[in-house]
Amino acid sequence: MTFLIRTIDFTAAGREIIRDRVLDQTSLTIGRAAENDIHLPDLAVEQRHVRIELAADGNLAVTALGTLGFGLDGRTVSEGAISLSTGGEIALGAARLAVAREGEAILVTIRQVATDEGAGDALRGFALASVLPNKRAMSWLLAAAILVLLLMVPVASHLLRTPVKNDPKGETPGQVVLDAAWTTGALSLKHRSLEDNCESCHVNAFESVTDTTCLSCHADTGDHAAMPRLAKGSPPLSPGDAIQWRIGTALGKEGPLGCVSCHSEHEGQVRTAAGGEAFCSDCHDKLDTRLTDTKLANAHDFGKAHPQFRPAYFASFGAAQPVRAAPGAKPVERSGLKFPHDVHMDARGGAARMAVSLSRYGQPLECKDCHSLQADKIGFKEVKMEDSCEGCHSLVSGRSAGGGFSKLRHGDVKDLAEDLARISSGPRAPVAPRRIRPGQSGTYRADFGRPVRAYIGLSNALSAGGICTECHLPTRGPTGQADLMPVNLPDRFLTSGFFSHDAHKKEKCTDCHAADTSKAASDLLIPDLKSCRDCHLGATAVKTKTIVPSDCAMCHAYHLPSGQWQPKGSAPHYKPPPVKTTVAAIAAKAKP
Amino acid sequence: MASAAKNRFKQDEKRRDSDHVSFLKHRKFRWLWIALALSAATIAGYALIDQQPRPNGGTWYGYTLGTIGLALIVWLSLLGVRKRRINPGAWSLKAWTSAHVYLGCSLVVVGTLHTGFQIGWNVHTLAYVLMLLVIATGIYGVVVYATLPASLSANRREMTRAQMLEALTAIDRQLESAAQPLGRDEADLVIAALEQDTFHGGALARLTGRYPRCATARALRGMDSGSEAATRVTALLEKRRNQLAQIRGALRIRALLEVWLFVHIPLTIALIAALAAHVISVFYYW
Repeated sequence: MTFLIRTIDFTAAGREIIRDRVLDQTSLTIGRAAENDIHLPDLAVEQRHVRIELAADGNLAVTALGTLGFGLDGRTVSEGAISLSTGGEIALGAARLAVAREGEAILVTIRQVATDEGAGDALRGFALASVLPNKRAMSWLLAAAILVLLLMVPVASHLLRTPVKNDPKGETPGQVVLDAAWTTGALSLKHRSLEDNCESCHVNAFESVTDTTCLSCHADTGDHAAMPRLAKGSPPLSPGDAIQWRIGTALGKEGPLGCVSCHSEHEGQVRTAAGGEAFCSDCHDKLDTRLTDTKLANAHDFGKAHPQFRPAYFASFGAAQPVRAAPGAKPVERSGLKFPHDVHMDARGGAARMAVSLSRYGQPLECKDCHSLQADKIGFKEVKMEDSCEGCHSLVSGRSAGGGFSKLRHGDVKDLAEDLARISSGPRAPVAPRRIRPGQSGTYRADFGRPVRAYIGLSNALSAGGICTECHLPTRGPTGQADLMPVNLPDRFLTSGFFSHDAHKKEKCTDCHAADTSKAASDLLIPDLKSCRDCHLGATAVKTKTIVPSDCAMCHAYHLPSGQWQPKGSAPHYKPPPVKTTVAAIAAKAKP
Repeated sequence: MASAAKNRFKQDEKRRDSDHVSFLKHRKFRWLWIALALSAATIAGYALIDQQPRPNGGTWYGYTLGTIGLALIVWLSLLGVRKRRINPGAWSLKAWTSAHVYLGCSLVVVGTLHTGFQIGWNVHTLAYVLMLLVIATGIYGVVVYATLPASLSANRREMTRAQMLEALTAIDRQLESAAQPLGRDEADLVIAALEQDTFHGGALARLTGRYPRCATARALRGMDSGSEAATRVTALLEKRRNQLAQIRGALRIRALLEVWLFVHIPLTIALIAALAAHVISVFYYW
């Protein structure tokens, strides 16, 4: 077996020197000692380090002769095999011995390698950092992007904007750039137009939204009560809330009675909800313990604790103002009218027969023939004599010249007096053929009646048994002349709550108002608490077919004056239109 | 005397034992219990405390949760500072790491309750999402630290990383001489294989272990097996490919071990920036 030993050295100038020698033997020894077949003058190599010989399987067996191993194809071993077909590389100190077959011989190429100073650097390639961007650079980049875009740009544009006093219409939107990223949620439906105009509410930096800002648009919102009374009537805050408010007010927030503490915004595109039962009962449950002088009774649950209704009514004839009934009292209403509801509602009575005979009714009278709802579906329009009563209670006084009827005017005694006087002096059938007086043009006419007749007619009409007293109460005026009681009816009976008649359409009127059995107008036909509780119990009641869990806001509003809160329709606390002057008001003014 | 020596031995044993206790089990899961107690307490508070008008970050409880969350985030992120300070003191890096992991997980509860489940496209939710991503990558990190080192050691087969590279160099030297008789085309293939960087391939290649542009694989495909030299080169290229596979296996495990940090760290810094924007913007537009 032939070993071809090829040694490759370099001169100082870098020129390659190749020396070949042939050893014809069965095995090779390699080491530092001179007697080895391959002599490697390297202190890292043992005196007799490795033997190479042909193994039985045709491969070359490489064996360490001492305790120190050697490198074989990069791996440190103490014995190994080299396949002659592929060859192998033995590492001994700085020497690399490439072993391969060349023809019939086995070529061993020896070359020295410089110690790899870059090995440590090469190992860095194993770290993932070698192929990814620097963590620190990424961190700075991300943090800077966030701080600039989401903090500095909005703050800078807020500070540099031209402040406008108040801009609810959004005429100067987008002054603050990128502050949309600061929103904590969509604005409520009514405030949606302000979505791009944060600074219209958030006026000054680090200042909570102020009541002044809210009231700059909502100027007509009424207070629930004066602020000191609200504060006195409120229950003590929980310790957590107390601490929060102490810190908040110290930093300029407007306290728990400010607008925003109840009207929290950015809760999504929803209609501002009415306060729940707890919202009201927090204060009104034991209100008398805190507001000792309050006239309001405690209330916390409509089914369990709600004071009896106190409808407003006129307690004496011709009173200037209505009074509220004492709780549980049976009020006698002094409206100045005579009106037995039972007579009018009796389906077999005279009134019913009369109505059947009239084309505009055609059937017995119903409530709605006289009472029609107002637009808010809560109160009723004023009952007008001309529309509701006169169909039966006629004021026709004679035939008019045009073939129709003339009638007495209703509403003012002075008008009535004039009308009666005209009747008395009106054209009468001629007693003789027309004749012209000499020297005069036109028809001659003379009234030979007594001048006092008209006054007797008026006096008759106004006194007991007269036409007016069918419905009105006779009285005497300041100078003793015949007169009528002014008609006084309040515009609303239940003044502090809202009762939507529209929501109760399925009920019959007489289910709640005992009109069919009421014999006199002095009956106040406003239902009591008990009749409401047939269906309405507090918010915590279980809903069934007949029971409607009812929170306070179903009937009451917070901001006063206001309309009823409704899930649809006009704003929750719109100010109701001013009440039109009514007959009652005129009469009350005319006769103080 | 004997008992004193026995006690000393016990103490030393205890210390030696604790040196080998994982940071997860540190002090019998002390920080796990603290984190669980914190989570349970915040959940109970959220359920029991009446927050008007509705639970969110602006109630007193919301502010409390937010303050706890902010303090935790700042403290947990200081692990990066703490681990670089090798100085004496009554603090254990293992305890810090244990607290970092468990309290970090409890931040999911604290942070989520602080939001009051109000999520939107804004800087506040950005901070929340960044926090969740940081926690998710952190959990991934704990899992890979617990599972992957074993496979890393199995892949090494008693070779150091330097030896793996050395073995490749040895194969390359043999390839160079073995390829001398080859023709132009095949020689070019061998040159391409030798010249390609050992660490060729990006982060994705490392993570997936797929190297579609591997020159060694291409050289193997293009090698004719006609001549003796070609057979030898093919055999050497196969050795090279196997050696590369070992290196790339190591790269893959290493990448899986390290990749989370490349998300965890930058997102933590981004989270701190987003938190600053969150807190300042909330009070700027109070």
